[in-house]
Amino acid sequence: MVTRQMNSPRMKGALTNKLYEINWLLPTLVGLVGLVGVAMIYAATEGVWRYGAFQHIVRIGVGGIAMLAIAMIDIRFWYRLAYPIYAAALVLLIGVEFFGVIVNGSQRWLDLGFMRLQPSEVMKPAIVLAMARYYHDLPDWRVSHISGLAGALILLTLPMALILKQPDLGTTLLLGATGVTMIFLAGISWRVIGLASVFAAVAIPVFFKFGLKPYQQERILTFLDPSRDPAGASYHITQSKIALGSGGVNGKGFMQGTQRQGEYVPENRTDFIFTVIGEEFGLVGGLFTMGLYMAVIAVCIWLSLQCKALFSKLLVLGLTTTFTLYIFINLGMVMGLAPVVGVPLPLISYGGTVILAVMGGFGLVLSAHLHRNVELPRSES
Amino acid sequence: MALAPTQKTDKNTITRRTAMLGAGGLSVFGVLGARLYQLQVLQAENYQALSEDNRFNFSMLLPERGEIRDRFGLPLARNRQNFRLVMIPERTPEIEKTLDRVDQISALSSRQRDRIQKDIRQNPKFVPILVKDNIDWATFSALNMRLHALPGIVSEAGQGRAYPESGVFSHILGYVGRAGDSDIARDEDPLLKQPTFRIGKTGVEASQEKTLRGSSGRLKVEVNARGRIVREWPDPKTEAVSGQDVWLTLDAGLQEFAAKQFATEDEGDDSGGICVIDVMTGELRTLLSMPTFDANLFVSGLTQADMDALNSDPKRPQYNKAIAGGYPPASTFKMVVMLAALESGLIDPNDKILCLGKVRLGNRNFHCWKRQGHGRVDMRDALKQSCDTYFYDIAQVVGMEKIANVARRLGLGESYEIGVGGGISGIVPTPDWKQARLGTGWRTGDTLNASIGQGFVLATPIQLAVMTARLANMTEAVSPRLVIGGDITPFGKMDFNPAHLAYVRDAMWSVTSEEGGTAFRYDSLGIEGVEMAGKTGTGQVRGISQSERNAGVRKNSKLPWKLRDHSIFVGFAPYDKPRFAVGTIVEHGGSGAKRAANITRAVLAEALRRDGLGTAEGPVSQEALN
Repeated sequence: MVTRQMNSPRMKGALTNKLYEINWLLPTLVGLVGLVGVAMIYAATEGVWRYGAFQHIVRIGVGGIAMLAIAMIDIRFWYRLAYPIYAAALVLLIGVEFFGVIVNGSQRWLDLGFMRLQPSEVMKPAIVLAMARYYHDLPDWRVSHISGLAGALILLTLPMALILKQPDLGTTLLLGATGVTMIFLAGISWRVIGLASVFAAVAIPVFFKFGLKPYQQERILTFLDPSRDPAGASYHITQSKIALGSGGVNGKGFMQGTQRQGEYVPENRTDFIFTVIGEEFGLVGGLFTMGLYMAVIAVCIWLSLQCKALFSKLLVLGLTTTFTLYIFINLGMVMGLAPVVGVPLPLISYGGTVILAVMGGFGLVLSAHLHRNVELPRSES
Repeated sequence: MALAPTQKTDKNTITRRTAMLGAGGLSVFGVLGARLYQLQVLQAENYQALSEDNRFNFSMLLPERGEIRDRFGLPLARNRQNFRLVMIPERTPEIEKTLDRVDQISALSSRQRDRIQKDIRQNPKFVPILVKDNIDWATFSALNMRLHALPGIVSEAGQGRAYPESGVFSHILGYVGRAGDSDIARDEDPLLKQPTFRIGKTGVEASQEKTLRGSSGRLKVEVNARGRIVREWPDPKTEAVSGQDVWLTLDAGLQEFAAKQFATEDEGDDSGGICVIDVMTGELRTLLSMPTFDANLFVSGLTQADMDALNSDPKRPQYNKAIAGGYPPASTFKMVVMLAALESGLIDPNDKILCLGKVRLGNRNFHCWKRQGHGRVDMRDALKQSCDTYFYDIAQVVGMEKIANVARRLGLGESYEIGVGGGISGIVPTPDWKQARLGTGWRTGDTLNASIGQGFVLATPIQLAVMTARLANMTEAVSPRLVIGGDITPFGKMDFNPAHLAYVRDAMWSVTSEEGGTAFRYDSLGIEGVEMAGKTGTGQVRGISQSERNAGVRKNSKLPWKLRDHSIFVGFAPYDKPRFAVGTIVEHGGSGAKRAANITRAVLAEALRRDGLGTAEGPVSQEALN
């Protein structure tokens, strides 16, 4: 694939020209994944459009427009807005603490009237923006210095603490993993990584004991030893595995999933939607979906390599990391390889904020790539 | 503070690390893909089986219960439409309000409402909960008209058990109910666990359960995670097999007729029991305990008030007196003593004994019912006039062992397996029995009491009928049968001297036919050429003190009901060609010559008429044919 250079001689208009310059492979792949989502939500809701499939189409459409709009905006604008967006997301998270709507025992949503906003989803691209800017601005010598590391950790732990309190263990871990990956990419020395690993080995059990709610502890313990509670917490996993396993190589056929029809797998429109793919389209469908995701990720990595500015590279890679971790955690959970934490399958699971956040993120990726030659000065001091 | 020596971050660091992460990500995808392969290919069969397990269930199809009919086919227990309302709680947004609306059309008691709320709490929300059943047609129609205002309420016509001739058959038929824990422990049939299935709890319903029940069918159904049936599968389907009908030897018309004879003018129905038995076959034409109760109440659910009324009634309507009521047979036992005396050869029936109204034994007087005495009586006269003194005398000679032996051969002291349950064996006392039971030795006074059917002797109406049937039959040890069909074992022989039996029968004839007989003029049944032979009995329920005797024994009718004598009568007819035998006991009915004798005579006559004797219209009433 060859991308056009910015300095095209004949410009009919900046806008159309810019649109033309966008890497269209990524939006195409993203749209394809979204369509898989539409089909699966349609199946999961017994073929009733208005139970989610229709909304999903609308959201993919709105998200797509937002994605392209964000892509068109100069990367320098996003660079300038990185901290304000982060701050706004932080304010929203604090807002949830006080004005949030409680659904299923977790206080994660802000009711805006026309939609319910999940600020933790907004924080995912926001933290990447903030950390990309942070490391762009940070002189290289301070990356492994305690002052440099402390700043990054403050940026990271503030939203993590707020989200853990909601409580939402999945998003907290996802956020943390994204942040750590970005610190790693920023070039922190291996010695610090070694020290941090030792610290983590001590800190994680302490966190497990004091930082987690009993039901969260239970989920992790159940994951480690499924025989603990066959009818309770691991019911999800067992039924999910039955749905996948009974699908076999070719699946039971579209709309033919019996596990799905019997409503054995809870939440199969949202977090457990991969069970519908696996049951109705089998191994073929599952690998196809994973292949689509891998293509999206590969394209993103490839785009990051073309960016000149550190901010752009870190932004694209950070967003890609978030997207990838979504997929890993969700698939791991559905296949019984990871504990049940409420993480959706991006672009396929039903849920508005996630789609908007993920597609907004891809907008930033596209913007970074579109403006890959733009100069963003770094301080050398 | 530097955590590590400052290192030169060249431009390639991020690219290198991106490549590392990319490789890591690729391997995670590899692991996920391998896991998917493991689940969907290697373990697919296992999970497919689990998926089927999840999905399929077998729904049970309930068989229709067999009917119970009388000997002419008249249904005594049948299945009928049971109009009921059920509520599916998940479809009812406002349960209390909806119940209020039902209540306006068909009243719901607070007990019913409590039960409904309890059922709703204890079941998944999609399980239909019974709101009310046994609704009459008019109310049911009214409710159906307003169903649109009752969300989640569904009207149904299910199967219920009904006893159209209820009352007179209640004790025989028993009733059906939901299987209890003990039933389920005894019987492994999974039908018992079905909430709408009913099993026989007592009576014929219980004893013929295996015949009446039938067998369940199976329907393969697909269920969802909450157990709700998603769809039915046509195959494999096993239809339920209906239970078979059970026919009884009873004649509903005669049973009804007999019940009417127990009616009194001012005290409601008399309490007691009557049994009409075929002298040749042992078939029971009537087996009735009075007063009766409505078994339908037990099917629809008894209210506390109904229960209290039944339990506090001194006439104990629920108690099956015909087979479980043990009464002193009184003078009807004298045939036993008489036959024992003849068989023993120790007594010459023509020898006369002088009756002076009482016999002194030790320091105790044993009175004859006739205070002034009967004078000189032989055996035949003694039975005819029911002279107690004569029997006091010969019983001492014959001895209790021989009397008890004859009593048993005549069917006393034995409970018959007729398929109703609860029958008692009564008591035929012997010295051994007394030693075992009371731990004291037999005394001559015990023999004297037993010789007139008092003291320890206890018999039920059915036993008295069997005894009479055997006396009338003369050869075979007739045993009662209630259910038609099944194995018929031939009756054993009694091995009495026919001449002795003929003598007893002749004496019984004299009771009803000769002047001086205690039931003189009762021989005529109003059917030409048919005579009834029989014997009266007056069962004493209290001791009569000496001071009372001195003051003059009070007339029965002046005593409180509970202290009056039991009125007993046994009889058979026609005398020359016996067809039916009857045993009748009327609790506290006074002298046997009156209440019980009247009832016996009327019922025997009706039995013969219904059997085709005399001028009646025929054996099968028009009603029974329909």
